[in-house]
Amino acid sequence: MARPVFGRVSGQGSARTRRGAVTHLDRDRPLVEAAQRDPERFDALYRRYLAQVYSYAYYELGDHHEAEDATERTFLAALSNLHRFEERARPVDGDAASTFRVWLFRIARNVVANQRRQKRRRPTLPLEAAAVVADPLDVEGGAALRDEASEAWRAVGRLPADRRRAIVLRFVEEMSTAEIAGILGRSEGAVRVLIHRALRSVGRDLGRDLGREPCGESR
Amino acid sequence: MTLPGRDDADAEALLTDRYLESLLIADDRRAADAPADASLDRSVRDAATRLRRNLIRVHPSFRFEERLAGRLSDVARSMRLAPAAGGGGGAVAIRPIDRSIRPDHDPAGFDPLGDPNDDNAARSRPLLIGGALTSAALSIAGAAFVAWRRTRPARSPMARAVRAAHAERLRSRSRVPQRLD
Repeated sequence: MARPVFGRVSGQGSARTRRGAVTHLDRDRPLVEAAQRDPERFDALYRRYLAQVYSYAYYELGDHHEAEDATERTFLAALSNLHRFEERARPVDGDAASTFRVWLFRIARNVVANQRRQKRRRPTLPLEAAAVVADPLDVEGGAALRDEASEAWRAVGRLPADRRRAIVLRFVEEMSTAEIAGILGRSEGAVRVLIHRALRSVGRDLGRDLGREPCGESR
Repeated sequence: MTLPGRDDADAEALLTDRYLESLLIADDRRAADAPADASLDRSVRDAATRLRRNLIRVHPSFRFEERLAGRLSDVARSMRLAPAAGGGGGAVAIRPIDRSIRPDHDPAGFDPLGDPNDDNAARSRPLLIGGALTSAALSIAGAAFVAWRRTRPARSPMARAVRAAHAERLRSRSRVPQRLD
């Protein structure tokens, strides 16, 4: 059973980090260098990113066990390939910019995509998580929160894959547009448009669910 | 030349992006109210606020966390031991779980938008293994054939004559006296 993370696990999504593009100095550099010298030091990177990778897999696959499987594969692949990782976070790197987090999430993205392909099924909605959010002492409020969360997840689940991925990376992982661009292999402008259109779709969807007229024109 | 429609979409997307930045920063600061931006479509604003509230990060179970930590630690230890044992390499032999995470596959080095099924490396490895297996099988078959032939001498008169001549030659060589210097 998944449990929610209260507060930020890694602090990676701090305002300072988000304001820049891909951070020009990878904040994970000391940990990555230590792990490249001594693989047993990889544990620090694992602890820092476990919840992020697991959350991403969970929202993508909609199943607790599959998310665990994808998380395990991601970290094993990252560890065995760590000696090949090269930080490319300088301004001159342009579109090829990459930090450890971007590199790790590119692995996660491929593992998840591969897993979905193998299962050959549509993603299920992560409704299980709704039970996690609710406060057990506030039954009425908890039920309302569950309903609201379920609606939001349903709306996100109906999005096309690339928009859904961008939304999850932006809202759950709190990544910058530049980081998402690095993971999805798109330009920053394309990612901004993806997210904007996804929010429009979700807004329309939620408006319909609530029985009111959706705001804004459709595109 | 730029298209006006495209510019509008980009401008709206940029506005949305800035709003999301301020929304996330407001959350960092635990600000009571979400930032207001009148220039942004209300449905987009509402959707962003809803998703910010409902899309939470989830954590796997402690049991899974510790189990995976243990497995990673084992793999890391074997990676450290490999060079000490004369391996000299940085990579460790982990059972490949799927084609995207094979040890010989750089996950960051391929086109993320490309079709992973187009990877030729996936086919080259079975070919190599198949060649090695075929070669080993031929060697074993050859050795078995020689052993079988040695235990079963041919029965034809010609073969018997050749064998008798060969044996006589060996005997005559053994009768040659040694030189005494």
